[in-house]
Amino acid sequence: MTSGTDATNTVVSAGGSPLSDAALVAAARGGDTRAFERLYRLHSGRVLGVCLRMTRRRDIAEDCVQQTFIRAWRSLAAFEGRSAFGTWLHRIAVNEVLTYARNHGTRVEATLDDVEEESDEAVAAGRDGVNEYDAGEVMDVERALATLPEGSRHVVVLQAVYGYSHEEVSDMLGIAVGTCKAQLHRGRKLLRERLGLPESVS
Amino acid sequence: MNERRTDESGFDPLDRALASLPRDVQPSRDLWAGISAEISASSPVVVALPWRRFGSTRSWMQLAASVLLIAASSVTTYVIVQRSMQQQVLQARESAARQLQEAPAIAAMPASFGGQEAMSAGYLKARATLDKEFNERIATLPPVTRAKLERDLADLRRAASEISTTLAAHPSDPLLQELLLSTYQSELGLLGSVTDMTNTTETRM
Repeated sequence: MTSGTDATNTVVSAGGSPLSDAALVAAARGGDTRAFERLYRLHSGRVLGVCLRMTRRRDIAEDCVQQTFIRAWRSLAAFEGRSAFGTWLHRIAVNEVLTYARNHGTRVEATLDDVEEESDEAVAAGRDGVNEYDAGEVMDVERALATLPEGSRHVVVLQAVYGYSHEEVSDMLGIAVGTCKAQLHRGRKLLRERLGLPESVS
Repeated sequence: MNERRTDESGFDPLDRALASLPRDVQPSRDLWAGISAEISASSPVVVALPWRRFGSTRSWMQLAASVLLIAASSVTTYVIVQRSMQQQVLQARESAARQLQEAPAIAAMPASFGGQEAMSAGYLKARATLDKEFNERIATLPPVTRAKLERDLADLRRAASEISTTLAAHPSDPLLQELLLSTYQSELGLLGSVTDMTNTTETRM
């Protein structure tokens, strides 16, 4: 199974010692909240990145992150380690975002101001991407991504940004693989237009 | 469907643009506080043992497990304290040696905390007995239950081993000390719970 996150994540404890996700998960499953907090510190940034780009609203995204980790804690006994812990968390996070959208209308509404503000904050918050782009260019990409239609945006975020496969994305979003491919195609086409990048060859 | 147009360096400009995005985004507030409050209020997650019925069965193995839990805590705490004292002694010796410009302390006491070799022989013997009982009784359980228990036990032992190894390299890390203790406790709890379950099954029969 491919995954969008490293299966061998390690965390550095307060004393500077590294531990793998597997060891922390095993300790957390025994009820150790300190181990779970370490997992939170290690993974929350990426989970928030997924939620923020899917919802385009920081307040909602942060609520989804909290719910993701609460649900993960309650479901730790069911985590069998077949996928990376980060992948498992992302599945829960995507489900939280989709559940929120279902409970609060068909989609999370975000104004243009929201989008610009969140794009700016996302850029300011971390730069672990390929840093050959300057901050202004990264902001342009964030804004273009945020203006995509919801279906396309979700697929582009999970697949093109976080590296999940068609099968994983279709499973996370509850859509067919063919729909996933079509949404990705549409999303990429729109992004090229909005970023002024050349049209695809094929 | 799989459109790709590459630039001079062989990369699709769109892929490069998307790759430039930061994957991690830091929250604007401390989200852990809310999570911590919520999970502390709910039942702590323990290794899933739906058959656990503390108080319903008083087998000697349960008692042994309880004693071992306490023993493990005591032994670990003892070793932590010993380790800490040894470090303090060593530091004091080194400091004194530097001050007096004498040779360093003759020999450092072995630092074995984090490995089973630090545990007492009594603890290891009792644990081995419990482990033997576990292996005998687990054979009587349904395959699905057995597989899950064996997997959970293997996870705990791998975790304990990794934490122990890491602790050996970082002996002063309090988090590692606490995690190692809680992982040993979880292991003993799991071993003891199987006895409880099989005893309950036998009682019903």
